[in-house]
Amino acid sequence: MKTNTIKLMMISLVMISCSKSEDVANSVNLHFNNTFKNTTIVLGGAESPAATTNTSANGQVHQFSELKYVISNIRLIKADGTEVPYHVNDLDKGATVINQAKLSSLDYTLADIPVGEYKQLKFGFGVKQELNTLDQFRFPIFYETAGANDTEMMWQWATGYRFAKLEGFYESNHQKFTIHTGSTLNGKSGQPDTYVQGVDAYRDITLDLNSRLVVGGNHPEITIKADFDKLFSGNNKIIIDGKYATAPQQHAGMEVMVTYVNNLGGDGKEDRVGMFAIEKVKN
Amino acid sequence: MRMVIGILFTLLLMLSCNRGDSLVSENVSNPEISFFAPTDFPKLNTAVQGNKPTKYGVELGEKLFHEKRFSGNNTISCASCHNPSLAFSDGKMQATGIYDRVGLRNTPPLQNLAFMKFYNWDGNILELEKQPLVPIITHEEMNSSILEVISKISNDDDYKDLFKKAFGDGEITPVRIYKSLVQYEYTLVSANSKYDKVKRNEGEKFTETEERGYTLFKLKCASCHATELFTDQSFRNIGFPLNKNMEEAGRARVTGVSSDYMAFRVPSLRNAEYTAPYGSFGQFPTLKSVLDYFDKGVLDAANLDPLLKENGNRIAMSEAEKKDIVAFIKTLSDPSFVGK
Repeated sequence: MKTNTIKLMMISLVMISCSKSEDVANSVNLHFNNTFKNTTIVLGGAESPAATTNTSANGQVHQFSELKYVISNIRLIKADGTEVPYHVNDLDKGATVINQAKLSSLDYTLADIPVGEYKQLKFGFGVKQELNTLDQFRFPIFYETAGANDTEMMWQWATGYRFAKLEGFYESNHQKFTIHTGSTLNGKSGQPDTYVQGVDAYRDITLDLNSRLVVGGNHPEITIKADFDKLFSGNNKIIIDGKYATAPQQHAGMEVMVTYVNNLGGDGKEDRVGMFAIEKVKN
Repeated sequence: MRMVIGILFTLLLMLSCNRGDSLVSENVSNPEISFFAPTDFPKLNTAVQGNKPTKYGVELGEKLFHEKRFSGNNTISCASCHNPSLAFSDGKMQATGIYDRVGLRNTPPLQNLAFMKFYNWDGNILELEKQPLVPIITHEEMNSSILEVISKISNDDDYKDLFKKAFGDGEITPVRIYKSLVQYEYTLVSANSKYDKVKRNEGEKFTETEERGYTLFKLKCASCHATELFTDQSFRNIGFPLNKNMEEAGRARVTGVSSDYMAFRVPSLRNAEYTAPYGSFGQFPTLKSVLDYFDKGVLDAANLDPLLKENGNRIAMSEAEKKDIVAFIKTLSDPSFVGK
């Protein structure tokens, strides 16, 4: 008797969820492919033969041992221009750390996206200022994820998240580079006119989908390519040296960091793409 | 117009009455407290207006200030580094936190904070209420998290009682922790030094050496150590020996401007006698050694403070002058502030 009741309940539950997803919404997977040009990056230590190497515009060979960045403020734009925000003010539900060392982190599934056709994807590279406060009380899940020992995406002193943590080696003698980005703005939360004395490392990315995304019966996927060749060879061609190998640290301050932010996430004005591109849309 | 305001006011009163009489009586039983605000001090930070110290807010804040459960292993409280008997500094070159981990910089003394525009050596904090979270979560300081802190103290009846008295109900929230801690800190006013008593004509007089020191001080130091706080709260690169830690860039870490590279907030000299060692990472063991360094000549830098550049990268002082200046600086010591 009991088993039957449970079975019945399960069946009706399945029916409910089926009808719901078919009529109203479905999931969309965002897959992040971190590359040097068209080659997916393999991380590795200084002597690792497996690590993918790349040569910068200035002829410097380099490779990554660590590659992480934060994606948040995700929005899908319908064919008719309607914007569908995805938990844009909730880091627990709408933000993630992409970590090349963790395969599972390269896929981020957006749940309950309304049925329809979409033409554009927008997201934040980093965390927008009004949410960038290390507020464990409001967003315990993201706080935990970002602060985990194997992730370390926090700047405690600035009470903000790290937006990118990129470390690796350059040139044949494997000198270390560590490039971290994050905002140091101050001001009243949510009131941009009060933001003072700091650097805004958040970048809003806008990518046109090369073919329409159709949300309906299937679970479509957008593959986003993040081409880290741009780190040293983007809008700014960087010669990696003592000054540029560490950002935002000594001898550098934040100016060097901003150079990298602009290469990775665009300048926030003309360039709203940075290193990102749509690789493919699979419906 | 007055009439309108009057009516509005009455309406407001009625509204708050409707909300619950308990709230009103709660406010009455937790009165705002006035803290000593010397008339010639700079004006209050605007954040004080939004977080005025109350009787129980301050009491709670002081208890939290000494709470070792703020740290991951229950060994470090705010007072561990901000020791009241050292004008809320720690006597160490660089702050030492949990598991003896050494921090980036010298622990700043806590005094007259309500009158400051910038906090920390690089001025990254503009409202003091945003500061308490930083040591709680910093690896080298308390290495905890705000929810961990709350879970540790939430079953403590003394805290339940104090949170209720301070905020009307016993709920312990991050914001309430930050606010009460800061209310306590706002009350840490030091303005009872010999210097203050001389200024206020309370019967004390400078000795001859102090008097000479004061004259020299006005000539050689007061352009930066200005106002009654003895800091103009500007950020300057004064060519002190450099902190080799890769994290250090001075104020440039905050602003991203290269002219702020290795610039630090001019420190207040009040209670300097109690806050050795000196410099952003405690480079100097004594006041005399600071003066010796200025006299000998500082490190050059593209953004070296113009006042030093104009003077050939140094502040020339004779040995006798240094003695007098140190004597004057010691008149800024406030024994009542450090419980002596």
